[in-house]
Formats: sequence, C-alpha cells, structure tokens
Amino acid sequence: MIPFQLAEPASFAEAVRLIDPEDPTCRAVSGGTAMMLMMKSGVFQPSKLVSLRKVEPEYAAFTVSSDGALQAGALVRLGQLERSEAVRAAFPVLADTFPVLSNVRVRNVATVGGNLAHADPHMDLPPVLMALGAHITATGPSGSRTIALTELFRGYYETALEPGELISGLSVPAQAGRRSAYVKCTTRSAHDWPALGVAVSLAVTGGTIQDARIVLSAAVETPTRMTDAEAALKGAPIGEEAFRAAGEAAAKAAEVTSDVRGSAPYKTQLVRVNVVRALRKALAAEGAV
Amino acid sequence: MSVTLLKTHPLMPNGQVGRDVPRLESMAKVTGREDYTHNLRLPGMLHAKIVRSTVAHGRILSIHTEEAAAVPGVHSVVTCADIRTIIPEPYFGPAFHDQPILADGKVRYVGEAVCVVLSHDPHIADAAAQLVLVDYEELPAVYDEVEAATSNVYVHETLKPAGTFPDLKHLEGKRDTNVALDYRLIRGDAEAAFAQAAHVFEHDFTTQQVMHTPFEPMISVGEPTSTGLTIYTASQSPSFVRIEMARLLKWPENRIRVKTSHLGGGFGAKLYIKLEALAAALALYTGRPVRVALTMEEQFYTITKHATTFRIKSGVDTDGKVIARRCDVWWNGGAYADIGPRVTQKSGFTAAGPYDIDNVYLESVAVYTNRPPAGALRGFGIPQLVWAYESHTDLIARGIGMDPVEFRRKNILRDGRPHATGTVMKDAAIPEVLERTAERIGWDKAFDRGTGTIRRGRGIAIGFKASISPTTSVAIVNVSADGSVTLYSSTVDMGQGSDTAMAQIVAEVLNVPTEGVCVVRPDTDVTPYDMATLGSRSTFHMGNAVRLAAEDAKKKLDDLAAELGLPERSNIPVDQLFKKRYGMQAGNVIGIGSFIPTYKSPDHDTGLSDNVTPFWMIGATAVEIEVDTETGHVTVTRMVNVCDVGTPLNPKVVETQISGAAVMQYGFTMSEKMELDAGQVTNASLADYKIPSILDIPPLMESEAVVATQHSGPFGAKGVGESATFGVSPAIANAIEDAVGVRITSLPITPEAVYRAMRAAANQPLEDF
Ligand SMILES: Cc1cc2nc3c(=O)[nH]c(=O)nc-3n(C[C@H](O)[C@H](O)[C@H](O)COP(=O)(O)OP(=O)(O)OC[C@H]3O[C@@H](n4cnc5c(N)ncnc54)[C@H](O)[C@@H]3O)c2cc1C
Repeated sequence: MIPFQLAEPASFAEAVRLIDPEDPTCRAVSGGTAMMLMMKSGVFQPSKLVSLRKVEPEYAAFTVSSDGALQAGALVRLGQLERSEAVRAAFPVLADTFPVLSNVRVRNVATVGGNLAHADPHMDLPPVLMALGAHITATGPSGSRTIALTELFRGYYETALEPGELISGLSVPAQAGRRSAYVKCTTRSAHDWPALGVAVSLAVTGGTIQDARIVLSAAVETPTRMTDAEAALKGAPIGEEAFRAAGEAAAKAAEVTSDVRGSAPYKTQLVRVNVVRALRKALAAEGAV
Repeated sequence: MSVTLLKTHPLMPNGQVGRDVPRLESMAKVTGREDYTHNLRLPGMLHAKIVRSTVAHGRILSIHTEEAAAVPGVHSVVTCADIRTIIPEPYFGPAFHDQPILADGKVRYVGEAVCVVLSHDPHIADAAAQLVLVDYEELPAVYDEVEAATSNVYVHETLKPAGTFPDLKHLEGKRDTNVALDYRLIRGDAEAAFAQAAHVFEHDFTTQQVMHTPFEPMISVGEPTSTGLTIYTASQSPSFVRIEMARLLKWPENRIRVKTSHLGGGFGAKLYIKLEALAAALALYTGRPVRVALTMEEQFYTITKHATTFRIKSGVDTDGKVIARRCDVWWNGGAYADIGPRVTQKSGFTAAGPYDIDNVYLESVAVYTNRPPAGALRGFGIPQLVWAYESHTDLIARGIGMDPVEFRRKNILRDGRPHATGTVMKDAAIPEVLERTAERIGWDKAFDRGTGTIRRGRGIAIGFKASISPTTSVAIVNVSADGSVTLYSSTVDMGQGSDTAMAQIVAEVLNVPTEGVCVVRPDTDVTPYDMATLGSRSTFHMGNAVRLAAEDAKKKLDDLAAELGLPERSNIPVDQLFKKRYGMQAGNVIGIGSFIPTYKSPDHDTGLSDNVTPFWMIGATAVEIEVDTETGHVTVTRMVNVCDVGTPLNPKVVETQISGAAVMQYGFTMSEKMELDAGQVTNASLADYKIPSILDIPPLMESEAVVATQHSGPFGAKGVGESATFGVSPAIANAIEDAVGVRITSLPITPEAVYRAMRAAANQPLEDF
C-alpha cells in the first residue's frame, strides 16, 4: 500500500473543509469496508482520506418518530439499525434485508453514509430505501440540500453528490401502512452479490393496490424504478394476474446487462419471476400467496 | 446443516485407535496460538513481489526494471538472468522439468512470474512492482484441451520429462506437440464388442478450471545459512522440496533444510515445488532471508484443477450388461505440466468406472495450453472422471428403461474380479457402498416429486480411485527416559487430522494415551523421508510406517526388559526400565519404520498391470434436490455420502473428512469456475469466484463409512480425504434429470444452465446473449 494522509476531524464541518473538491484522490472514509477493498485491489489510491469516525456523536445517532419516520446520521452503523426494535417495527422490510446484506462483521462497521455513497449497483440497501421513499441530506462547502434516493444514483460508483459534498443524514418517511418486501436473487452462492434485487412497496386498501413502487437493482446499471410495472399495478385487485402483468412489464422495460452472474436474457427471466415473488411476499398478509 | 454420524466402529484393545480423539492441535488453532509459516519474520528479511505476465503466450523482448529499482527502499529487481547465476538450469517440476523459476525469454500464460521486486517493506515492493514494464512479442495462444492436442500452436518447444518416471522416458526431447502424456489401456476388443451390442451410447462431458482456495495462501521463506539453506514453507511435500532443490543447486540433500508448520489448507495446491525454488534462489542471490508470500488473488495464477473433456461410449447387451466401453479423456494441463501427467495416467486408468466390463479401450492425454497450470486437487482427477462416467451410466439406465441403481448393481465390480487394468479387486467394498447409499436415501421408497414450480428428484453416483504408487514413508518413534513418546514423521497436517491419527497409531501400539504423544512438525533435518501428503496416501503409507516404528520401539523396550532380566510381561513402568538400565533418567529407545507397497507399472502398450494399486478408495453420493422451474435454481435438500475407508482410525475425523470433501466438490459442482478471457482470469478474487458458504450447504448431510477392512492397512484403515468428492457432481446432475428431465453435461451446474436446458427441452430456447 502506498502511503497517504489520514485526517480525523472532530466535526462534520471540518471534514467538509478538509476535502478538496478539485482532487479526486482525496476522499471521505466512514466504516472503511468498501474503501479498504478498493485500496487493496488498487482500484483507488488515495492521497488523503478524511475519516468521519470522530465527528460529533449526533451523526452516529438515529431516531424513529412516533408515527414511524426514521432520521439517521450518516455515521449510523447498519448493525445499529438492524438491532433497533423501533426500526424493525416501522420498517419490517429492513429487518428482513439486513440479515442478507453481507455479514455481521461488515454490518457492525459499515455506515449509512458510506453505504449510500458507494453506489455499487449490486448493493441491497439502496433499492429498499428507494422503494420506501427515502432521501438523504448532502452537506458541502455551500450548505446542505436533500436528494431523493431516486435521484442519487447516476451510474456505476457514481452519485449525484457534487465533488466535496458528503452525505450527512438519511430520512425515511413513515410508511403509513404501506407493505414492502425485498428479494435478493443470487445465482452462485448465498453470499454472492445478487444477480438481481427487487424491492417493492405498495399502498393497498381493501383488495386493491392504490400505489406501487418497484425498484430493480444489480441486474441494471443503477437501482431503477420500474414505472411501467408500477402503472400496471395501480388500481388493480391484489392477485396473481396483476403480479404477472407487473413482472412482464418490468421484464420488458428493464435494461439488463450480462455478467458472470448470468446473461441478459436469463436475468430478464429472473426479473419476470422475482417481481411476482416480491409482490407476493409483500402482500402475503393480504392473502396473496 | 445437520450431520449424522457414522456407524459405531470397532475400538482397538488399547482404546486409542477407533476412538473419537479430538484433534491434538485444535486448542492452539482456535486460540490463535498456532504457528503458521505466515507468522515467521526473520532478521533482515526481504519481501518479494512478483511481476506477472499480462499476455498468454509471448516472447519477452525487454524488461524495464530501472524505474522500479530506483524507488527508495527497493533492494533489487531480479530476473531470470540473475537466477541463473545461482541456478544455471532454472527449470523445475515433478514430472517435467519445464517450469522456469522466472520466465526465461518467454511467457506461456497470463499471470506467469516474470521478475521479482525485493524490499524490506512489502508495500514498497508492491508499489515498485507496478513500475516494471515488460515488452512482449505476442504469439498465438491455445486454451482448449481438445484443440491444443492437435493444434500447431505449441506451448513448449520440446518436452522435458523429469526422468524420474520410466513411463515418461519416451517423451524426452519430443518436438511439435502439446501432448505431455498419452496413456492407453486396451482390454479385450472394444470395437468388436460395440458391433455386437444391443445398444450403444455415446456422450461428451466437460469440467471447468477451478482453484484449491486454501485459506492460507502459499508462502515460502528462504534463508541462507552457514551450511547451506533453510526453506520455511507451507508445503505438503517437504521431502520432495529438498530433493528438487538439491537437484537444482547440485548440492547434497543434507545442505538443504525444509521446515513446515501446520498448513491452513492445501488440497493439493502446495504439493511438489511451487514458490520454494524462487524463495531459495532469491535468498542465495541476495544473501538475505527472502519471503515470497502470495495474495489470495495470486493463487489463481499458480496452480489449479484440470478442466477436462471426456468422450465416453458404451455398448450394452439385451440384459443391461455393459460389454464394451471406450473412454477418451483430455486433461487441460495449462502451461506447465506440474503433476498433470500423473493425474492423466494414475487416475486415467480408472476412467471406465467401477464396473465389470470385459472390453475397454481408454485414452487419457495430458495437454499443454496457455492457461494457468493444473495439478493435483482433492481427488487427483477422479471427480472429473466420475462426473462423466456416472452421468453416462444414468443416461444408459434411462435409455434402456432400467432403474439406475439396478443397472449399477448388475454391472458393479466386485472383489475377486479383475479391474480393466487386470488388477484383481481386493478389499474394495464397491457393492457395499452402493447398497448402503441406496438404502440410506430410501431409493426403493416412495418419494414426493413436488408440484407447481418446485420439482423434486433424486440421484445417485459412485466412483473409485487407486492410490498413487509406489511411494515410500519413513517414521521414527522416540521413547524418552520418562516414558513419554515422540513421533517424527514428514506427513504434513494441513487440517485433515493426520497428526492425531498418527499419534493414535503410536498410542495404540505402545499402550499410552494419544493425547500425550508429541508429533514433531516436518523438518527434513529431523523428520525422515515421506513422499508427500497427497492422494489420501498418508493413513495407509505413513500409518503403516508409524505402526512399524512403534512396534520396533515396543520390541526394543521388551528387549531392554529381557536384557535387564525382567520376566516377560512384567509390566514395569517404562521410566523405571530406563532408570534400571542407565542409573538415572537418561537414554532413548528409537523405533524405525519404513514402508513401500508392492506395485507393477502398467505395460506401456496395453496399460495393463496385475498390481496397479495398494488399495482402492470408494465413495458414493445420493441426493434429493428441488428445481425451481421458473429460474433453474437447484437446491440440494439432502445429501448422503458413503465411503469405504477401511476401518476408521478416528471416526470423528473420518466424518469431517467425508463431509468436508463433499462440500468442496459441491462448490466445484454448483458455483466455482475460473472465468477466462484471452487467457486472463477475470474473476481472480473471492468476491468474484464463489465457494460455497455455510448457507449454501445442504440442510441435511449424512456421512457413513461402511463396515470394511483394508487388510494391508494399519489397523484395517486406508485413505479417506478424497472419497466423498467422487459422486457429488453426477449425483446432482442425475437428480436434475430425475426432477425435470434435462441433462446437464458441463460443470458448474448454474441456475442459468438448468433453466436454458429446460427451455430448450420445451422447444422455446432462451436467446443467447
Ligand atoms: C465482505 C463484504 C461483503 C459485502 N457484502 C455486501 C452485501 O451482501 N450487500 C451489500 O449491499 N453490501 C455488501 N457489502 C458492501 C457494504 O455494504 C459496503 O462496504 C458498506 O456499506 C460501505 O460502508 P462504509 O461505511 O464502510 O463505507 P466506506 O468504505 O467508508 O466508504 C465507501 C465509499 O463511500 C464514500 N463515503 C463514505 N462515507 C461517506 C459520506 N458520509 N459521504 C459521502 N461519501 C462517503 C467513501 O469515500 C467511499 O468512496 C459488502 C462489503 C464487504 C467488505
């Protein structure tokens, strides 16, 4: 490993100041789980790392409001959310997702901010948070702004963050009875990156789907909402016919790429099948099987 | 995962052999006190970083080392020319002397070691290595084993067999070929029998290139000493390393000392000679200790398991008896032969399977290609063969409408009958293993075949293996004056539990507790010769040597008692015996054991031999699986592995060897594959090369050792480390056909392969890409 500078500022504002927006080899590091792998494999050689580890403790804290909205600082560890009763109650889909996201050692170290800034399209949390309607707060030299997760991911390892801008927090709105589910589909081993991720979130009244969000990840370049599939569900009665229509629409619209986890035609079939399965899973309590 | 244990096996009279002795080293391992070669740091030690070839086949025009050498902290940049100042003929290998210590004017695969950067700091060496520029004149390359066998792209100019093997002599100096060994077996008249057969079946099967993935990557440290050289190395074959280094340096063996620690896995990757020659040459070149340690990623460029193509053809009579079989096997050896030619022959001769077939024609060829070299990997080629012949066997049974187990039963090779080589089977519980496997899986019972998108199926497969022969093991048992016992053997415990098993043999013979026996780590200055820890040979060969050594010590103790005038069976404690003899706590009794089995080399023209192996290993697998018909995902819900291991020395260790071997082969069956693009491995990391995790393992795994005795083995035992690899792959493929009616003929069995096969069978093939 080639030597580099490491700064450990005591405040978030200082961290923002220490990052040189002109220098792509100067970057933030939070949990370091992704950063260390990039450095070891030579993909990234930093001249300077600004660790967020020692910033104010509020960045490592989170709250769940009485109606079930989550506010989390960027330095909150995934494991903290995983073990929180309040998070589990407000977002059962998160409780279901964490156990398949890497392993307990990584989850205890990896942070919300690092996870969302990394923008590897195979990651499990981005599609789920996107389906839940989350947004982040980005803080840079000229202040803070919010970015919806639907706007955050721009490409492989690419986000809408400006150079010098950091993720400072995450907000997930109260779900108000929406039903959600995530399906991680691997094709080589259980701990592999997914060949496809499908996250869904649905508002239902009686037996009817009022509104649907369907997000695909891993098989596509960035986590992507499937608007045609969502439209196919809007106003439809809960049931296999609607699910299959959504699966077909997603399979038709998804821009799937080939890689070692499967060819594009095969992964398109995975989309077709797993959209249906994710919908069934989300609505299992509603009598869908 | 749940694992059901073996049957109760006999405990020997002194209560040591046959007991579930916990592994002697487990406490040190789980508390982090185990001393691995990786932890070794020597004063003044340099770290080596290897610069690797970026082309699959090319002439080296120039190596620009100046920029790297100028990096502060770099000691030197070493090329083959520098190595030659220490070792004028820098070519090594167990079967062929074909592999240069560093590329010698030419590279033959992507990842081949071209030169080395040395520094006191591994990070500096690493960074500087990236500054070395190598100019190549690229040459056409060949990757496929069948194509390479007749290609006019030649990986080597001439063949250079090592000379240690008489059956390779005829290849000396041969030009214009990639075929490094052509083994042929001719029994009866296969062509004539095919003409008479009621049915003839022919199929092609392939396997992919995979890697051993030991969790301790390869490491060797060379240290110049006042008398010569010490090599600390994570090696499965310290004796071989010493002999090969002595040959390269033209030194007597006793100037070279090779020491090993416990290994963090080996599986055949750390056999013969790998990094040792480089570490030794660098140490002698610089006059300083040099550490050559690979990363996990670099292991993909070092040694692998052969990809294969196997064309198999059988003639069957109207009763379902196989009357003729022809086997053509191509082994993709990669750029250097390593032990590939031995795999080709010593495993190749079993390619017709554990069946009683009168007419067999078999060709098995080792082929050079421009891929990373292939060598021994748990099973020594057998899993590739069983994959083909047991898939084929099932296809025949289905083709003639016979139950697959019944068909096997009808053709199975029984004790007293000759194997295709002519060797008469003995102590080979093949029928017993088949029957127990069928019984445990409930083959004759009703079976839930699933509904809707989940279809269920069952499959069974059986294979066998000969022991590589003839090989020698020597052991020393030292009884100290207080009666404590020490075993000196060069068997390397790489996690298989050999230290414990060998201690049990000593303890049983000398009637002392196993837990009190000290087993000395292999050190060629201290522990005697052993061919290598490979091919499940240690229990049998070293076990016999250890037993002889312990018996020799026991006899010497008895002689000592007699010399002192003590009545026979006086049972005087050993410490008092020494005291009586020497007047104080002093002296030793040293027992020596040396073992080599009898053997007859196969005839060059016919491949026949009436004594081709000292023992046979047998393993069968049965599985129950579920196929997701919408995605092709296969879930193995239950796996039964049954082996003939003779009489287990330590049933608990046998159980873990059976389940461990099966899980390893399960990874090679379902997910592992080195992806190659123009000779470049594109997934050379554990992030992209997927071995099974605990979540992938069948929820129900059952292991059994059938009641059996290897009469020539120590306490009736024989090898166990590989037998459960044999049947795994074809059992799963057979179960898939049982479930959804499609046949997979290439490994790995990915969900996509299954799904595509199902779509093709339904006449709605999925587009290609
Ligand atoms: C063994 C292993 C297995 C894994 N398996 C999975 C899996 O199954 N599923 C899955 O989804 N993920 C998986 N991951 C990825 C894991 O989720 C990420 O590594 C982790 O979430 C990154 O968080 P971090 O805090 O460690 O980020 P870091 O490594 O600290 O940073 C990652 C990137 O984000 C930048 N960054 C960090 N913090 C901020 C910030 N506040 N604002 C802006 N940029 C920032 C860094 O500069 C860097 O580019 C795995 C990782 C490992 C090591």
